[in-house]
Amino acid sequence: MAKTYDYLFKLLLIGDSGVGKTCVLFRFSEDAFNSTFISTIGIDFKIRTIELDGKKIKLQIWDTAGQERFRTITTAYYRGAMGIMLVYDITNQKSFENIRNWIRNIEEHASQDVEKMVLGNKCDMNDRRQVSEDKGKQLAIEYGIKFMETSAKNSINVENAFFTLARDIKAKMDRKLESSSPSGKSGGQKLVKEEKPSDKRRWRCVIL
Amino acid sequence: MAEPVRKNSHDVWKKLATAVKESEFVQQESIYAKHELLVNEIETTDVSLSTTLRAVYDGEEHKVFMEHLDARLKHHDKEIERMCNYHYQGFIDSIRELLQVRNEAQNLKSEIEATNEELQKSSQILMKKGSELVTSRKIQRNIMAAVEHLELCLPVLEKFGKLREQMNDKRYYPALKTLEQLEHVYLPRVSRYRFSQMMSETIPKLREEIKEASMSDLKDFLENIRKHSPKIGQVAMRHAAELNNIDSGPSAQQPPKVIKKKKKRRAPKPPNPFTGEVEEEDAVEDNDEEDDANPFLQPTESEEGEELSAQDLVDFSPVYRCFHIYTVLGARETFVDYYRRQRRKQARLALQPPTNMHASVEHYRVYFQEVVGFLVVEDHILNTTSGLVDRGYMDELWDMCISKIVAVLRTHTAYCTDATLLLQIKNVIILFSHTLKSYGFTAGKLYDLLVEVRDQYNEIIMQKWIQVFQEIFAQDNYTAISVQTQEEYLDVTSKYPYKDEEFEKSPFPKTFPFSQFVPKIYIQVKEYIYACLKFSEDLHLSHSEVNDMIRKSANILLTRTLGGCLSELIRRPELTLLQLIQISINMNYLEQSCEYLEQFISNITGADRESVHVTKLHGTAMFKDARSEAEDQIYYKLNKKIDDILELASYEWTLPEPKGHASGYLVDLIAFLQSTFMSFTNLPDMVTKTKSTFINVRHMDKVARTALMSACKHLAQRMMDFLLDNEVKAISLGALHQLNLDLMQCEQFANSEPVPGCNDGTLQLAFIDLRQLLDLFTTEDWSAYLADFGKLDCKYLRVPGQRAITLLEKVNTADRKKIFTFKKNERDKKKLIETVLRQLRQLVNESQHQN
Repeated sequence: MAKTYDYLFKLLLIGDSGVGKTCVLFRFSEDAFNSTFISTIGIDFKIRTIELDGKKIKLQIWDTAGQERFRTITTAYYRGAMGIMLVYDITNQKSFENIRNWIRNIEEHASQDVEKMVLGNKCDMNDRRQVSEDKGKQLAIEYGIKFMETSAKNSINVENAFFTLARDIKAKMDRKLESSSPSGKSGGQKLVKEEKPSDKRRWRCVIL
Repeated sequence: MAEPVRKNSHDVWKKLATAVKESEFVQQESIYAKHELLVNEIETTDVSLSTTLRAVYDGEEHKVFMEHLDARLKHHDKEIERMCNYHYQGFIDSIRELLQVRNEAQNLKSEIEATNEELQKSSQILMKKGSELVTSRKIQRNIMAAVEHLELCLPVLEKFGKLREQMNDKRYYPALKTLEQLEHVYLPRVSRYRFSQMMSETIPKLREEIKEASMSDLKDFLENIRKHSPKIGQVAMRHAAELNNIDSGPSAQQPPKVIKKKKKRRAPKPPNPFTGEVEEEDAVEDNDEEDDANPFLQPTESEEGEELSAQDLVDFSPVYRCFHIYTVLGARETFVDYYRRQRRKQARLALQPPTNMHASVEHYRVYFQEVVGFLVVEDHILNTTSGLVDRGYMDELWDMCISKIVAVLRTHTAYCTDATLLLQIKNVIILFSHTLKSYGFTAGKLYDLLVEVRDQYNEIIMQKWIQVFQEIFAQDNYTAISVQTQEEYLDVTSKYPYKDEEFEKSPFPKTFPFSQFVPKIYIQVKEYIYACLKFSEDLHLSHSEVNDMIRKSANILLTRTLGGCLSELIRRPELTLLQLIQISINMNYLEQSCEYLEQFISNITGADRESVHVTKLHGTAMFKDARSEAEDQIYYKLNKKIDDILELASYEWTLPEPKGHASGYLVDLIAFLQSTFMSFTNLPDMVTKTKSTFINVRHMDKVARTALMSACKHLAQRMMDFLLDNEVKAISLGALHQLNLDLMQCEQFANSEPVPGCNDGTLQLAFIDLRQLLDLFTTEDWSAYLADFGKLDCKYLRVPGQRAITLLEKVNTADRKKIFTFKKNERDKKKLIETVLRQLRQLVNESQHQN
């Protein structure tokens, strides 16, 4: 039962059905791609360990069903998420427009300080593009979150996106840790309230 | 004349004297008579007068006699005189007449002389003419003789000339005949001539020349035949194709000709090589025609072409000629030997396959054409000559050919990995064997080979079908097929026999229980069977053989190929639980489809389905296996997911007090399980619950319950492992309480009936070991445990002594670390633990000894 990691980040992938959430995750976790569309039913997850600044970080990434009928199941996972990837499909205008609804969903169900990021997936299909990159950027700026165009198929920016999100979460966590370090253990307690991996936090405290 | 006359007169005179004495001497009449007699005697007798004279001299009267004699003489003289007087005139007349005659004679003589001279003169010319005539006659006779001889010689020369001519015209056999005639009939007639000798000398030379020339003709022929034999083969094969209604070549797209030619292709009529020149020319002409005309593009020409049999394309006369020539020359054996040896060589050449034969079916075709060409020629030779080739030779040659062909084909087809090509090759082989058959060669070995090739073909198409299956699996979305319209509905049911009346009546949109791959796989299995059947066509196999073969190879396809693909699919890491569930459902339907497949095979092979010997399809069992494999994979996957989350678990084993709520990882885990099972049992596809899907739903519920049970057991085991982990040396009671909190979450989940119909209490049993262990430690109910240890009604029946010892030792270690204060109750507690440990060890030892 010895811990094999320094951090556990829980990430969530949301977005309309068919934008490629599962593919993005599959690319990130298995470095593979499957072109047939198989809609996710309910919820699934993958775990991948990455290294940032010499720290081992486990990313538990929850992949949600985009379909409306699974909404109740999926929204239950917002709460524990430390980072959320909002995915849309650049060849589908509607999926882009719905990003605003998904953000509203996050505001409603997720923690206040959850890290967010917008991904415009399927950027390999430029010939069928409906949403320009600038539009995506503009939306991101509007909400003050990061933006990237990705392609799970051609493995463009997928790795980068998850690393960026993980780095941001870690930076935020480190910042919080620093600000609360004088008060020592109480800082840990505070984090426990906000985030799920409370035991890990405590474990860190023990080291400290 | 004078003397006789004188004598006569003398005698007369003597007589006269005698007569006188008689007269004178009367006494002496006798003497006289005697003298008379004597004188008569002297006168008349011609005999010597001695006796007479003696008689005269003996008497004394010789004087008398003398006188008698004289008288006689005088008488005679007188008589003479008288006589002379009498005849004198006559004599004179005679003389005169004689003189006259003498003159006349003189005249005559001169006359004669003149005549003679005249005659001499005239006959001289005659003589000259005569000798001239003789010369001419001689010349004539000579000429006659010469003509006669020339007449004798001329035919010889004519023959010889003809011979020369024939030689020049390369008509060697007639030349040979002529030679024969020359030698035996003509030349002996003219043997004395020098030219005949010369001719005789040239005859052997000519023979040799003919032999050589005909041999060189034969060589040309052999060369030609080698050049032409692919063409012959091509024609022969085309004919065979027409006869058997097989597509013969690249023009396969063309509809097969309906006109069935009943005409016998073989031409047993041996053309006479000596008179058959016209025919030969025809053949040559036709041959040219063949060359020029594309028989597939110009039907009229091809009609003509069809009239020809393959062997008609070749002028065989050189062989016949040469054969006859050698036969006549008595070198038949040599020739037969030579011919056979050459042909064997050619056979070996023909049988040598092109190096890149495996690359294209055209190469095979060319190869076969060459072989067929060769054999057709040989067959033709066999039929049209006597003894040049015999059955034995043909059989031996054929044996050599077939074994070589089989070896070549075996080698080359082994390279082939393209099913279409192999199929084409098979068709060519079939055509080849049909062609051969029509020429009386038994191609049984080829069929044996084809059966081998069929296995290879099946193997290849099986490889192909692996790809097909893999593609189908890759393309499927593993969600049940949903249809909006009747057309869509019919589209699915036309591909896969799905019979459900209720479902048929239910309103659109409706959803089939299976996903796309069921109809697709079903169709592909059928396609495969068709493909197998395609190869078995024309192999002369019985229905039941074909049926058996197809069933066998369908079984291999199902069990090995499809089974393998399914197994591979099921093990794919990217498959989600729901996809696995869909696969498991699909397996049910594929399993059901096996029955239809059986029917289908029987229908297309026409074999009796009820036959006892029929191999059954193993598909049912395979799909059952695949289904259970998929289900196992579901359980495994789920456990794997649980493990993934458990990786994140981190208990702090020296925790003094529980946190008051369940561990985060466990909350996540339970939530995940809950949502998973919720989607498991509320699959949208299950909404239309008809009778047939009902079975499905029940089956899926069973799978879900099994998965749930397996998950819970796995979870409980892992949590138990946490406690018993050797790495963890000390566990505080606080930590145990924390674990208890987590366990309570699990139990709550188990009680919540995550899958309908699992509230029979069995699910909770998964956690019972852990529950009893934690209960024992949290309530410290040691007395009860120890008292009832080993009894069947023990409250902590599922807590083995050794496990309790292990955990108690850990708790003890944790306590020892923690406690520095010597509070009394703490010390008591420590003592208690040690007592319990001691007792437990004893109990465990005892029970071990008992065992």
